[in-house]
Amino acid sequence: MKKNVLQKPVHVFLLLLMLVLSGCSIGPAVQPWEKETLARPEMTFEGDPLDNKYTEHIYSSKEGASGGSGVGGGGCGCN
Amino acid sequence: MISVPSKKTHVIGAALFAAAMALPFSHSAFAEAAPEKGIVAFKYINYEDSQPDQDRISVNAYTVSVMAPIAGKWSISTTYTNDSVSGASPETHTDLHSGASKIKEHRQAVDLSVTRYFSKGSLTAGTSYSEENDYISRSYSLQGSLSTEDKNTTFTLGGSYTTDTINPSISESEYFDKRTVSGLIGVTQVLTKEDIVQVNLGYAKGRGYFNDPYKRYDDRPDNRESKTVMTRWNHHFDGTDGTSRLSYRYYTDSFGIDAHTLALEYVQPLPNDWTVTPSVRFYSQTSADFYLPSDLVFPYPLPPRTMDQRLSAFGALTVGIKVSKRIAKDWLVDAKFENYEQRAGWSITGGGDKGLEDFSARFIQLGISREF
Repeated sequence: MKKNVLQKPVHVFLLLLMLVLSGCSIGPAVQPWEKETLARPEMTFEGDPLDNKYTEHIYSSKEGASGGSGVGGGGCGCN
Repeated sequence: MISVPSKKTHVIGAALFAAAMALPFSHSAFAEAAPEKGIVAFKYINYEDSQPDQDRISVNAYTVSVMAPIAGKWSISTTYTNDSVSGASPETHTDLHSGASKIKEHRQAVDLSVTRYFSKGSLTAGTSYSEENDYISRSYSLQGSLSTEDKNTTFTLGGSYTTDTINPSISESEYFDKRTVSGLIGVTQVLTKEDIVQVNLGYAKGRGYFNDPYKRYDDRPDNRESKTVMTRWNHHFDGTDGTSRLSYRYYTDSFGIDAHTLALEYVQPLPNDWTVTPSVRFYSQTSADFYLPSDLVFPYPLPPRTMDQRLSAFGALTVGIKVSKRIAKDWLVDAKFENYEQRAGWSITGGGDKGLEDFSARFIQLGISREF
């Protein structure tokens, strides 16, 4: 089956990259003293590391897809 | 119908990865500042899955992690995990080798990483080791990020190398290897005082043994190449003081699997230092090109081939809730419950193997952490 352009990860990435970088022009740049909310744990992408690590481990052992959020971590015999 | 796997070239992905690997890590850094406090955390995790009228696999895991800042410019992190798996193998059309129907395994894993913080970011080197009676995995990684002057944009670059050794317990004199290199390139952007987004492109290429040694007629290709696009968006709501965390991942690989994962959770602080976080996740994948459906009659096609239901087309839905409470200034406790349902008929692209049994699982986590 021929894939459409949005099914190619590189194209999707470049499209999203443009959208993300264009965010600079959505409004004025956020200043350091305005980042109190952004510094809260729930606003970071790491969240609860042990929770994320084990949940990803479970999904990678029950589903065909894995990865995407970082590098390293190693494999196991569960998949 | 079984299709022959197409020979994909993935030239762009390989070139991007090569370019990413060629960039100097010494200039990479993360936008985060060096941590002022260390943290020690413990979690107990219980996993149980089931199919209609029968319980299957049960996992009990204990994991502890420590992160300690050093001299204001460094931090060191380590995690130890100990889990034991017991139960019966999946009840599908998969034909198992004799002696492989009952599972009892014990796994220990440890990882260690060191981070150096710079004025515009950080550089992290890590290693991990995982050991089971029939499987050993070693991994080495390096990841760095570089942020702009205003710290509103951060570029991330990382790579890892993993080497696995498989020694099936039904054939103890045989050893198989698998080696995987992976890379990640991404950008994180502060959009507003209450919005932050991230886009990551991942690439992995593995060579070696991908079979499940305990399943008959399981003979997969000896290489696997995958690409991922991960996008995440966190938004804070002033009115409720809550935060939504939305993520979408697209995955594609040389086995022929295309997968979409959409996840949303909402973190709501409550009075008296309580926090409640409901979550939902939907996953859908196509089948591997060489998956043999359950209605196929013997003799089976020549390799590559597999009957592993994890490589069939299906969809899955997880619904969960997490509750946490700060019980003292530096102490946090949490509990999380998730229910997972996997169905052949839920694949958004169709093609599910209707002969497969429904699959359900529940995950429970209990955690405690202390800052120091």
